[in-house]
Amino acid sequence: MGLNPESRARFNLNRASVLLLEETPLGMSILVQILTGFGAKVLHRCETVAEAEATVQKVELDLMIVDAMGASGAGYDFVSWLRRSGIQPNCYVPVLLTAGHTPNGAVNKARDCGAHFIIAKPLTSISVLERILWISKEGRRFVECDSYVGPDRRFKNEGVPAGMAGRRRDDLPPEVGESQGPNMEQEMIDGMLKTRRVQI
Amino acid sequence: MSGAVSIHTPEVRLAKLIRTPGGKPVADAMRDAHKGLEGIQADCLGELSVVLDKSEALVARAQGAFNAEVASELYGLVSKTVGVATACNLKPIDTMLVSLADLLDYLMSGKTWDVNAVAVHLRAFRLLLKTEAARDGAGTQAILEGLRRVSQRFAKPTTETRPADADGDAAEGLE
Repeated sequence: MGLNPESRARFNLNRASVLLLEETPLGMSILVQILTGFGAKVLHRCETVAEAEATVQKVELDLMIVDAMGASGAGYDFVSWLRRSGIQPNCYVPVLLTAGHTPNGAVNKARDCGAHFIIAKPLTSISVLERILWISKEGRRFVECDSYVGPDRRFKNEGVPAGMAGRRRDDLPPEVGESQGPNMEQEMIDGMLKTRRVQI
Repeated sequence: MSGAVSIHTPEVRLAKLIRTPGGKPVADAMRDAHKGLEGIQADCLGELSVVLDKSEALVARAQGAFNAEVASELYGLVSKTVGVATACNLKPIDTMLVSLADLLDYLMSGKTWDVNAVAVHLRAFRLLLKTEAARDGAGTQAILEGLRRVSQRFAKPTTETRPADADGDAAEGLE
């Protein structure tokens, strides 16, 4: 991702409604300091899953930062519940999951709970901001089926697996067809690759 | 996978909010977040001392043998503390805590205990917290590498593991 911490690019979290689920007071303080540093003003602090579930039911949220909650993995269960809750629009909200340590037995649960991104602690301000900006991108598809409800986890489209027809409407056959138009001129290709001064 | 699969693209309000005029530049946000974290550094250091004392008391309670309750309580304590040290610029302590959490996870999976492997982590915890060691690059890296090697020994099935200190190099980097 590589966000430059010295960048003057602006972002606005002033009006974003953010749920924070973190059971330790210091963990919560760290999150709050980072988020308020980013300019977020509407923070819903929840120390238990019950508080978080109640908040989801009564407040419209824009972002959730959820801790896995140690060995119990209650944070994963909360995200699974959220995705299947049918409480719109909160059930589709970007979720950033944080974890101090993921025990071997919980790796699948972490992967399948339906979070947009999992960040291993310790958190740094720049990594949290990078992930927030990344998960907030529009156009992320949502998958709902018996075994999984959450954002599409496929980052690359490598085509349909060998020997399968594909299940998506926009899946293409593996065979490449005849060209539909003339090849591009070399001059045009060179023009596209030429370095230019840009104003950001 | 069975049953119907539905794929759709929900509206993400956060994307629009982030782009609204106002807000702050990334550089200012980083500076403000760091300033906020500096304000809780004393609390973080105090918490780390408490966690260290509690961890040592728990290990003493185990009396050198595997005790599922103690191991689980210690794992919970350690994994919940990861992240606190980095907030007060003591990232090596977080690296040590992750190594200890890995070790405890392996020990709990194998229902076994290795008093030396756990003790060497807690000694490193005390050293990194109570001295300036955590701020010294090369020496600290040697300690952390030694700890990582200790905990990774237990990643294998328990029948293949050896006591951490059996050949005397478990505490490498701490001497």
